[in-house]
Order: sequence, then structure tokens, then C-alpha cells
Amino acid sequence: MPIDLEQFKTAYEKWVEESMSDFQAGKMVEILKKYPSIIPGDIPWMPYTGKPSEQTFALITSAGLYLKDSQPAFDTLSIHGDPSIREIPKDVQQEEIGIVHGHYDHSLVEQDINIIFPIHRLMELENDGIIGKTADTHYSCSYVNNVAPLATEAVPKMISGIKAEEVDVVLLVPV
Amino acid sequence: MGLIQRMIEEEGISTISMGNEPERMARIKPPRALQVKFGRGSMFGEPGNVSRQRRILLDAFDALQTITEPGEIRKLPYQWKRPDRPDMTDYQ
Repeated sequence: MPIDLEQFKTAYEKWVEESMSDFQAGKMVEILKKYPSIIPGDIPWMPYTGKPSEQTFALITSAGLYLKDSQPAFDTLSIHGDPSIREIPKDVQQEEIGIVHGHYDHSLVEQDINIIFPIHRLMELENDGIIGKTADTHYSCSYVNNVAPLATEAVPKMISGIKAEEVDVVLLVPV
Repeated sequence: MGLIQRMIEEEGISTISMGNEPERMARIKPPRALQVKFGRGSMFGEPGNVSRQRRILLDAFDALQTITEPGEIRKLPYQWKRPDRPDMTDYQ
């Protein structure tokens, strides 16, 4: 685990208590300045080996994408955000995507999901032989402040799925 | 996303992320990253620019193969601002 969750939980509870009034007033910049980011100094590192043309790639975005007809939207009302993750299939079409994220303007992504989730470009690169394979499953989360359940539940489940599909490289695209 | 990237890399899978705020990226310290000059919510630039989106993915593959030190952030030169909101910054 790249962060000390107990240390985070203590700092986070204090942050929620101190930030609730600003959150309710919509002062997002103010509360994020005080957010207890706990990032250790060391950087995890898996040396890249092999060739893209022989490997499988997966995407993760934090743009708040979900499948409108089959998945629940993300919670945007809570100060905690939403610590869940949606699976997005590789053959997804623009019109199937819903977007729920309270802290960025979605209007450009509504025109073209590839500016934050370049799934169609990845498929084209597979067809052109530049990458080996686009994974069958890709992922989106949304705005989340309480990262403890994200780190202990949603991300481990997602990583199991990534490993089951033998993904070699993950590209992460935040908003 | 910084936490997610770290957790995946710790599991033995190579990752590369994108960002547009140098200060935020310095704080998050991703294993590998591309830094772009696009605004919030459009890390690959303008909607519909297929060749640019493709170019950035190719740049990501190049960075994967050539970044050898943990924490390197490679800057990309491409620029585009929303015509309707040219001064848009974080959380506006």
C-alpha cells in the first residue's frame, strides 16, 4: 500500500470536520488546499520491458464516465466523493457514456470522450499493429476525497481484473 | 489517480499517467508521466482532433520505452485553448 491508511484516516477525519462549511458553500479550491495528501517520498517502479506491438494496454480515467443504461451514476453530493470504479468495455460508443463529476466542465468530453479516454484511438493503434491489444475492459472513477475505501476495495478489485486480462501497460488520464 | 497509479505499479504493471499542472504532478510524484499544456478536462486537446490524440498516445509509448528513472515527467509541446473559455483553470 503506497500510503499509510491509518495516518490518512486520522488526517482525513480532521479535514472533513474543518472543511464541511466551505464544502457546503462550494469553496472547492479552499478545501483542496487543506486536503491531507499523504504521498511517501519513494516512487514505485516497474521497469518497462518488451514492445508495445506485442502488449496489451488498458485505460483508467477519473473523468466520471459510466454506462448510462446499465451502471449507476457516481455520487457527487458527498464531501467524500465516490470511491467506486466503473468498468467500461473497449467497444463503448460515445452515446453510451454518461459523465458525473462535479468539478470540471464536461462539455468537451460530451463531444468526444477520446480527449480524456482515448479508447477509439487505442483501438485504431491495435488495428494498425502499433500496439498488440486493447484490453477488453477499461475503468473510470470520479471525484473522490475519501481514498481509504478506494484503496482497500475498488482498486484491488480493479487490479485483479487488469491482471486477469494480462494487461502489460496502464495509461491513467485524470481530468 | 496518483494513488491508483502507485498501487498498479507496485503490483508489477508498468504505468504512465498524464497531467497538466506541474505543481500538482510534483506533489503526486507519478512513476512516469506526460505533462501537457491543455486545460482541465481535455488532456488530449481539442475534441475531434484524431491525429493529435493519436500523436499523444505514440508519445506515451515512446516515453514508456525511454524513461528509465522513476518519477520522470516528460513535457509535450502541443497547445490548444478552448475558444469559449481561454483562461479556464482548475476548478472554475
